[in-house]
Amino acid sequence: MTDLETPLVRPSPIIPRWIVWSWLVFSFVGFLDATYLTVKHYTGGPINCSILNGCDKVATSSYAAVLGVPVALAGAVYYLFLFLLAVIYIDSSRARFFHLAVFTAFAGFLASLWFVYLQVFVLRALCLYCLFSAIDSTFLSLLGMVALRSKTKSDGYSDKEN
Amino acid sequence: METFTNQGSAQNQEDRISKAKRRQTVRRAAMWFGVFLVIGGAVFGVMKISRSTPGAGETASLVSAISSADWVKGDKEAKVIIVEYSDFQCPACGAYHPVLKRLSEEFGDKIGFVYRHFPLPQHTNARPAARAAEAAGRQGKFWEMHDIIFENQQEWSESQNGKNIFEKYAETLKLDMNRFKSDVDAKEISDKVSADFESGTKSGVNATPTFFLNGKAIANPGGYDGLRNAISQAIANNS
Repeated sequence: MTDLETPLVRPSPIIPRWIVWSWLVFSFVGFLDATYLTVKHYTGGPINCSILNGCDKVATSSYAAVLGVPVALAGAVYYLFLFLLAVIYIDSSRARFFHLAVFTAFAGFLASLWFVYLQVFVLRALCLYCLFSAIDSTFLSLLGMVALRSKTKSDGYSDKEN
Repeated sequence: METFTNQGSAQNQEDRISKAKRRQTVRRAAMWFGVFLVIGGAVFGVMKISRSTPGAGETASLVSAISSADWVKGDKEAKVIIVEYSDFQCPACGAYHPVLKRLSEEFGDKIGFVYRHFPLPQHTNARPAARAAEAAGRQGKFWEMHDIIFENQQEWSESQNGKNIFEKYAETLKLDMNRFKSDVDAKEISDKVSADFESGTKSGVNATPTFFLNGKAIANPGGYDGLRNAISQAIANNS
């Protein structure tokens, strides 16, 4: 069962429609969030300091850029990549594209864990936009896990696995 | 006869397939076009929003009038009064410091610029900085201390001993150090900082810097140009 053959044998997508659509929504929302922070990063409009929101501290910290690349920009590219992969999957109905998106999202989830750790324990300031992104990528990972499971089921592997 | 019909249907089928293929190509092109339109629109929208993001509570309006306890630069009887709620440790406030300095030099006595403390809880050195400025104020050097604190924001922001750094600044201002050290810890000074914070909260301040122009919060200060325009307009309206 190679991914290449799958769409030929089974023209209907093997990943449930609701997962693909939710994926599009979550990755798009994440893209908006990260783009907002990226624009703020480059236009240099100082992010106000507020009682609830430690964005100023987080977004101006030394952790806000890795090797000169702002984390916000990396985030925007990451979400855009996830979004486009899902569109390519819809276009081609080749599951390998969606699976690539899922594994990228897993990596993104780990990165989110690291950034939440930095905010809570190192910077001791929370940035709402950044936390929102972490929640968003958690949802994407959960969707990804469901997508992988539904794939094994429709391939008839569920019996072997259980 | 049979072969003929077969040929005919084969051609029909080919036609149908090529038509379907064409339709599919059009649909795909439309989909990708739509996708890029949505992404482009989103980026454009976000850029617009992020530029007009309100600084602080748009509906905020100043509840406490300026008093003798306030630090005023320019003329406190001026027809245009700007009140800033600020946090010495907030990078955005630091970014606005040169802007306001330039504006008060430009407008001189046509405006009164009031500085009030709004030390946010997550900025651990903000309160000590506010107290140091107030203590310097007791020796007539509030604005001098205010300037040094902002100009060297990087030096003390994350420091564990902000207090020592502020004492160093007090020395460069040639303040009476014994008096400065006791004033920094004085209860009245601490109370004054708290009173500023409370009047800010009551006025709807929830972020720094928040500016009030004649009692009304400026939703989007817009840097030097934005503030300058707002002030010029207020002066024109009040003369």
